[in-house]
Amino acid sequence: MTPKPAGPPDGGWGWVVAAAAFAVNGLSCGLLRSLGLALPDLAEHFDRSAQDTAWVSALALAVQQAASPVGSALSTRWGARPVVMVGGVLTSLGFVFSAFARSLLHLYLGLGVLAGSGWALVFAPALGTLSRYFSRRRVLAVGLALTGNGASSLLLAPALQLLLDNFGWRGALLLLGAITLHLTPCGALLRPLALPGDPLGPPRSPLAALGLGLFTRRAFLVFALGTALVGGGYFVPYVHLAPHALDRGLGGYGAVLVVAVAAVGDAGARLLCGWLADQGWVPLPRLLAMFGALTGLGLLAVGLVPVVGNEESWGGPLLAAAGAYGLSAGSYAPLVFGVLPGLVGIGGVVQATGLVMMLMSLGGLLGPPLSGFLRDETGDFTASFLVCGSFILSGSFIYVGLPSALPSCRPASHPGTAPPERGELLPDPQVALLPPGGPHSTLDTTC
Amino acid sequence: MVTGEHSNMPVEKNITLERPSNIELTCQFTTSGDLNSVNVTWRKGDELLENNYLINATGSILYTQYMFTIVNSEQMGSYSCFFEEKKEQRGTFNFKVPELHEKKKPLITYVGDSVVLMCKCQGCFPLNWTWYSSNGSVQVPVGVPINNKYVINGKTANETRLKIMQLSEEDQGSYWCQAIFQLGESEEHIEIVVLSYWVPLKAFLGIAAEVVLLVAIILLCEMYTQKKKKHSDDGKEFEQIEQLKSDDSNGIENNAPRHRKNESVGQ
Repeated sequence: MTPKPAGPPDGGWGWVVAAAAFAVNGLSCGLLRSLGLALPDLAEHFDRSAQDTAWVSALALAVQQAASPVGSALSTRWGARPVVMVGGVLTSLGFVFSAFARSLLHLYLGLGVLAGSGWALVFAPALGTLSRYFSRRRVLAVGLALTGNGASSLLLAPALQLLLDNFGWRGALLLLGAITLHLTPCGALLRPLALPGDPLGPPRSPLAALGLGLFTRRAFLVFALGTALVGGGYFVPYVHLAPHALDRGLGGYGAVLVVAVAAVGDAGARLLCGWLADQGWVPLPRLLAMFGALTGLGLLAVGLVPVVGNEESWGGPLLAAAGAYGLSAGSYAPLVFGVLPGLVGIGGVVQATGLVMMLMSLGGLLGPPLSGFLRDETGDFTASFLVCGSFILSGSFIYVGLPSALPSCRPASHPGTAPPERGELLPDPQVALLPPGGPHSTLDTTC
Repeated sequence: MVTGEHSNMPVEKNITLERPSNIELTCQFTTSGDLNSVNVTWRKGDELLENNYLINATGSILYTQYMFTIVNSEQMGSYSCFFEEKKEQRGTFNFKVPELHEKKKPLITYVGDSVVLMCKCQGCFPLNWTWYSSNGSVQVPVGVPINNKYVINGKTANETRLKIMQLSEEDQGSYWCQAIFQLGESEEHIEIVVLSYWVPLKAFLGIAAEVVLLVAIILLCEMYTQKKKKHSDDGKEFEQIEQLKSDDSNGIENNAPRHRKNESVGQ
């Protein structure tokens, strides 16, 4: 008479998982962004151009995102915990290997391939597990975890500079290997959770584990298309916002201010939107389309901002546009992951997270180079931001095609199915008959 | 060709010179008083210069001009024009060879690694470059390619690179690159620190040990709480079984099950 698995705990250990996911986000995406600080030292040591060394970061990002479905497939088979722990060790090994690099190729292999693969194994499983621990406060929890990005930039960037100044780039990479090893204890915190709606057995084949079958659902297909388009524009500001500010006539500190305004707006909005979305006033897909559209409009505004008169000006219009972009992009981020359980059911969330990362990577590989090309052709970033804003707008337009009424995520709306609390009497011995067969349970209504 | 400026304050002008040149220095002096009572002299440093200068007065402005040629480093330095009226006014021209761009951060390298030290001269073309290292006050020229340890080359005329291979801890210290012009030298200082891998490795092992400890604590804590939960679950299951039994036997008067319900069974 084992009790039927309870619904998402919506708290309790879930907050520990949220903290673990926060750290995972910081040690993967956040660290990747700060890695740029080491690139000039690498360029100087190996006597290569800035463009060649930039490939180290770009390769790591590409591997992390494109290989994400592998991470989620492995964790569907073996659970998120061992996969994330192994991912932490792999990432650490990548950094240690690259600390002893004798050529830029070693760095491509160590940081790009090894560390990138390790990161691919940690991000989707951690975030997917977090989604499973929450239902009513899911988007807030996801938003909380995603602020790990910004917090990491605040902490790791100065720390990395300190390491570089005291230990050189070799010592810095070695110690970053030790820091990223903390991904493993974060993985250890990801306790497996049994939920109604989980597939009964392990996936039948590797392809099934990848979750490609999720694409047969119309809702997820629409979402995938929209997300791939948004990905084409989403990453451009990360790369080109600062150069654009400089182009528009702001001085060095003015550009720093613009980037800071966008970053702070982004981080704050992740939390705020998370809380807002969970209130349930607006259906999640509608929020997703709305904030996606606002992000696109924000980027159009950033591109269309006029040239500032002199270097001393604080660049009011650009700051406002960057702030608007930051707030919208920050609101968009947790929604992308928060809407998944409603689309694919709680059982498919981990796989869906991996697929979403892969979709965004397609755009991520296309967007910044295209933006750079447009800049070289037209002389400034106006065209670049207009194009990436349009990508995001068209993706958001596709999001409008998502079903607005996703299955309810409120557990207590049906009488007689109150979630059994631990240790108490079972409800009526009316065991729910889980439908047999396929790895994709049809119990979408549990979320 | 250079000219001076005039003002009420001491005037100074820095001039960068690479090659031998003909020089013409001009100072202007304006005063409301009598121009003839002004004593005009030229000095190089403290040394009074005797000839080669002209003095001209136009209206209320006094001009003086000094022409000479600079061919070697001894002729570089500070040249001043002096106007002595009630108090002394002077204008100074400082001639210097181009300075190299100052780098500040020491280079951190590791044993067995190789390093490239670079010096660059912006917009100037030295005749030659040399490198030397100094430990304390002794300066030792560097660059003789013994055992393939040092390689000096430069991609363009205005830069030089010193590549040091197979670094060892003795290579640590200050290095100087010197740009040699016809009219003098200028130099730049670069510091190299050579660390052994053991330095960051110690920190790495410490942090790795901490991580292993964290993982152990997390997993042990979880095993402990699972065991406790299993115990209490077993106890509660037993209570539930007893409850159902007693519900079943409600119609039959039998007090015994009710007593047994309150017993807790270990394990």
